[in-house]
Amino acid sequence: MKLDRLSFLCLVAGSALVAGCSSLGVKPWQRDVLAREEMRLDANPLDAAIDDHMYFSKEASSGGRSFAGGGCGCN
Amino acid sequence: MQLRPKIPLAKCPKTRRRLMAASCALLSAGAARSQEAGVAPVGTGLLEDWSVDSALAYYHEDGRVQAVEPVVNVSKVLADGQSLNFNATFDALSGASPNGALPSHSPQTFTSPSGKAAHVYTIAPGQLPADPHYSDTRFAAGGNWTLPLNRVDQLSVGGKFSVEDDFVSATVDASIAHDFNHKNTTLSFGIYNEYDSLHPVGNTPVPGSDFVSLVRTGGKSKDGVGALLGVTQVMTRTWLSEFNLSVDRFTGYLNDPYKITSIIDSAGNTTGYEYVSRPDQRMRKSVYWENRVAWTSQLSTALSLRYMSDDWAVRSDTAQLHLRWSWSNREQYVEPTFRWYRQTAADFYTPFILDSAKQSTGFESADSRLGAFRALTYGVKYAHKLPGLGSRAESEFSIRAEYYQQTFNEHVPVPSGLQGLDLYPGLKAALVQLGYRF
Repeated sequence: MKLDRLSFLCLVAGSALVAGCSSLGVKPWQRDVLAREEMRLDANPLDAAIDDHMYFSKEASSGGRSFAGGGCGCN
Repeated sequence: MQLRPKIPLAKCPKTRRRLMAASCALLSAGAARSQEAGVAPVGTGLLEDWSVDSALAYYHEDGRVQAVEPVVNVSKVLADGQSLNFNATFDALSGASPNGALPSHSPQTFTSPSGKAAHVYTIAPGQLPADPHYSDTRFAAGGNWTLPLNRVDQLSVGGKFSVEDDFVSATVDASIAHDFNHKNTTLSFGIYNEYDSLHPVGNTPVPGSDFVSLVRTGGKSKDGVGALLGVTQVMTRTWLSEFNLSVDRFTGYLNDPYKITSIIDSAGNTTGYEYVSRPDQRMRKSVYWENRVAWTSQLSTALSLRYMSDDWAVRSDTAQLHLRWSWSNREQYVEPTFRWYRQTAADFYTPFILDSAKQSTGFESADSRLGAFRALTYGVKYAHKLPGLGSRAESEFSIRAEYYQQTFNEHVPVPSGLQGLDLYPGLKAALVQLGYRF
């Protein structure tokens, strides 16, 4: 069976995360580093929004991190 | 027998100091938790208990478009765990926008979409045709409400609305997230629906129609639906990972109404132009993987990888790295950024149409955004924490700069008449952004 790149990436990353679910993680009192601002997945939402708008208007791809809709007539 | 202290507690200085110290410690711990959870202290002034994030960005393309974009985002976490978020963006764009036609060894004359006599422009030999009368303004606003359903589930609903001179867009979205594995794993699923209405300046050209004959119709629309499935996993005390799968499908008028394609003869002479003709539906799928790692107390990285494919034959790979270095007790940080991107061309992309050839699919577009290219972004951000406003603990000022460059790497054979012309000029752009949040 031939896997395309999308399926392969899904398989590798998905397997790693699913396997990790059962054995990885921290206790509640070990979240000090994770509580830092830079460890948030949306650490700089305005920077990301401004960049996404630029890339949406200049490239054929968008989304991935969040919904791909543009709300912009620029592309 | 009732036991009574020999000295009342309140009258014992040592005990009183201990009680006061314990009370202060408890209050401090509570305040710290509130801050960590993003709960702003209660106040009385305007937006006193909201977190405000604002930015002003200036974007400039080399010889083309420039834009000024102020953005503001306000958010609030309520005591019961609910959170509200509202944002507003304004864009003012102006400059010269490439119309899709090829450069030529002869002067080329075009009429702007407005059709006004004053908007006729002539492009000098060797120059990339670009409409110098391009201008647009955009206002966008959005909101989001997140509601905990129980200890491990939360629902989020949102919407956004944007208006341009020739475009209106409305989007609604909803997502649900479930925590498990002692909140080390979060599984989320979201859907969205976008509806866009287009009213191009000078009306909508019929796709594939001749540029000069001005065959136009009224307003058009497009509709998009999408879904995103995501897993967030705490890997270790210093490593957070996120993995997303997303798919979306748009139908309707997916053209750029202002783009045209040059028609050339076998010698390379431009014989005419026609409006681009994209398919009226598109489905995209993407995989996104982000890893955030704190290497030391000062150094952290965020690396994201994305692969996207669609049924227009566009395939793209994106890798982006943010590196943050903090110092002065984390009051200052610098964040260099590097992004690498490449995409393949849409199967109907063509830089020109040979007048002796007919497009096999009936679709064609010389829009460079659908061509095959690579893009690099280099950026750096500096931020400094400042004393907070009002009762807030702190605020932050930041300045950010980015340089973006596109390079086209697949060149088709061209007739001799086009030799010596830069048919793939690429794009160079710079962005400067000031930010302030409190």
